[in-house]
Amino acid sequence: MLKYLLRRVLISIPVLLMITIIIFTLMEIAPGDIVDYFRPPDLVMTEEAAQALREKFGLDQPPAVRYVQWLGSVLQGDLGFRFTDGEAVSTVIGRRLGASLLLMGSALAIGILVGVPLGVFIGQKQYSFWDLSLTGVSFLGISTPAFITGLIALLIFSVKLGWFPAGGMRPVTSEPTVWTTIRHLALPSLVLSLSFIATFMRYTRFSMLEVVRMDYVNTARAKGLSNRFVTWRHIVPNAILPVITVIGLSIPALVVGAVFTETVFSWPGMGSLYLEAVRGRDIPLLMGMTLVIAIFVLGANILTDLAYAVVDPRIRYD
Amino acid sequence: MWKRRLTLTLLLSLLLALAIAPAQAQEAGGGGTLVGAFDVGPGGLNKAIPFMDTAGRTWLSKIWSPLISWNEDMSALTPQLATEWSSNEDSTVWTFKLREGVLWHDGEPFTADDVVFSLNLALNPEAATSFPGFSSLSAELVAAVTAVDDHTVQIELTQPNPRLPFFMIFAWVLPEHALADLNPADYQTTDWFFTTPIGTGPFMHEEYVADQYWSLVPNPNYWNGAPKLDHLINRYFADETSALVALQSGEINFTYVSGDVYEQLQSDGYQIFDGPSGVTNYIILNLRNPAFQDARVRQAFLYAIDRQAIADTVLKGTAVVVPCISPFPNMWPDASELNDYAYNPDMAVQLLTEAGYDTAAAWELVTYYSSQFHQDAMAAQQAFLGQAGVNVVPLVQDVPTYNSYFYTGEGWDLSYRGVGVNYGNFPFNFYVPGGQPTTDGEPLQGQSFPELQALIDAARVESDSDAYLGLLQDICKFQNENALEGYMWTAIRFGAASDNLQDFYWFPAAGGGPFEDHAELWSVNG
Repeated sequence: MLKYLLRRVLISIPVLLMITIIIFTLMEIAPGDIVDYFRPPDLVMTEEAAQALREKFGLDQPPAVRYVQWLGSVLQGDLGFRFTDGEAVSTVIGRRLGASLLLMGSALAIGILVGVPLGVFIGQKQYSFWDLSLTGVSFLGISTPAFITGLIALLIFSVKLGWFPAGGMRPVTSEPTVWTTIRHLALPSLVLSLSFIATFMRYTRFSMLEVVRMDYVNTARAKGLSNRFVTWRHIVPNAILPVITVIGLSIPALVVGAVFTETVFSWPGMGSLYLEAVRGRDIPLLMGMTLVIAIFVLGANILTDLAYAVVDPRIRYD
Repeated sequence: MWKRRLTLTLLLSLLLALAIAPAQAQEAGGGGTLVGAFDVGPGGLNKAIPFMDTAGRTWLSKIWSPLISWNEDMSALTPQLATEWSSNEDSTVWTFKLREGVLWHDGEPFTADDVVFSLNLALNPEAATSFPGFSSLSAELVAAVTAVDDHTVQIELTQPNPRLPFFMIFAWVLPEHALADLNPADYQTTDWFFTTPIGTGPFMHEEYVADQYWSLVPNPNYWNGAPKLDHLINRYFADETSALVALQSGEINFTYVSGDVYEQLQSDGYQIFDGPSGVTNYIILNLRNPAFQDARVRQAFLYAIDRQAIADTVLKGTAVVVPCISPFPNMWPDASELNDYAYNPDMAVQLLTEAGYDTAAAWELVTYYSSQFHQDAMAAQQAFLGQAGVNVVPLVQDVPTYNSYFYTGEGWDLSYRGVGVNYGNFPFNFYVPGGQPTTDGEPLQGQSFPELQALIDAARVESDSDAYLGLLQDICKFQNENALEGYMWTAIRFGAASDNLQDFYWFPAAGGGPFEDHAELWSVNG
């Protein structure tokens, strides 16, 4: 297992480098740079001033030199400074990552805790009232954009009922507490969890339907075992494998964030930051975020593979 | 007896304390907490710092007083840290008298040395402050900035500039005693502006929580009187819809709002503040393209588009049709001297036919505007032009993409865009050779007009304000006659405040002003 893990980590390093090279190249190919971002429509910026700014940001150097310089800094633990406002990239990523992990983590947790049991439930009652109802609701959950459900939730629960704050991460007139954090987190995480619940429920249902007809399940039932025992001891452990894959694929969302939900709820996460970085051609920020996200994605893939071995004794990585 | 004396003494002490307490409260604070979304919408910019940004000045002016600002409605300049200013005859030497008795937030006195330090920092390319907001006062145009005495600053220019005071509204003043040791090259990355900033403005820094809010407390030493508010908080929102929801839920007291919601808010009891954006929206036609070189084609564009109908219906009456690049009526000549280009599709077709315009041609109408307001306007323009036989296809690009080629004069035929124009900052550079970094050295639009050039040359050095305004009107008349560009409208912008705000004021100034809003008088009832 350890050998397998080491091999996977070593393989991940060149993959990581390739990802950063691809993103860097894409940013180089994209028209415009930070100076073009700052050039306003109604004032004049001379070419000399523009050139001076490019030199200030190091953009007068060839792309290959800049990439190597960036990589050298990263190896020394320095992600550089944002072009747009001069803040240290590590500081802003650290701040936004925490916010994203909190929001996406809680949404994902709700998605798993609600979606998987519901999937198990309706997976045993195919074409029943509950199956059809929850499947219909799940389609609605998957197909409704988060910014619509977000706005509706805000209008009902913040503006009309006043139960929850209208966005933001903390109160502005007092110090944050666990309770204020929960209140600020509730609406955006519930809105985000809708699609997770729907997705996990549907995958679990499908997987349950596959397993529930297996011969060994029929044998277990024929032996007179209780329905609950058969479900949780024989069906669910075998049906859960594909669901783990889906959950594993969802883990990168923890760090990628959710642009629309973050925007609607003014939640300062990674999704909106990535958008800011692209719009501002903020290469240091974009590269820093790419690095962090890529590490999470590769790490999540390894973790998912390891989880298979834990859940299914047939899988071994020796 | 001693008991009576003691009781009397205590009673007098109590009365004295009660008398003093409200007096102290009136000096600074007592007016509640005002939470606003001051950086939402046009004019705002989260995390703006002096000299670096082209917007966010409404908020910046709460901490850092500028030398000069606009007055309440941007119709004239008003003194801030500079109380009066004058120039020599040819406007090459300007003298600014500074307000006396002003203190920095840390109690240090404000002097002319601070102004000299700040202006030199702003002009220092090492500090990367040559961002566009201040580039009009570039280092090449300034020969020297000197402190004549503790309260007088002199600026020597390398060429005449009668409108220099209008650029001084961007001249924020920073404390030399706090920043003298800062390497100019570190100006961009220092966290001083968000951790221990010191200014001379009405409010002092209390707490900055990145991406969330910036909280200020009143400056008891503010030169225009101590503010009434206990706290002034700028809360950051990703977009105006989120801020609107926060306003309606009572979490904030003020935000910028779009033109489609202000009426509802007004009927709900909110205070509405409106004013001209100072930005003219227009279609620029690239005259390097032979198809647009004939003035009749350009005039046909104006006749073909029912600008008034778009302003009234699509833009819901929140835009005013303009006759030229100037958005303000005082820069327009008498209406009798202007062609109103009232909607006339037959005339448009006739002019296009006379000019031999190829109706099979199709052009991209590029823009950097992504808001629904402008998307709707462009769709209407496309429909109207199509009816006259001019085929255009709107194309939205992000700002860096658009800017990467637009100012070279190449790669575009038509563009729907906006330009901020005011009395002190007219975009002369758009109309003169070399004014923009075009690859062929021609003006942005691709063609020089000697008559227009002569008017611009005269206006640039005209120091008499009436004569200057007359020249701007002549420029407007020339643009209108020749349909130099497809002049559309200037938008009206809105802000909404809760009804419990007292003496609050806001104006939709381009870039956030700065303008005179007397923040020291603001308070919140209840």
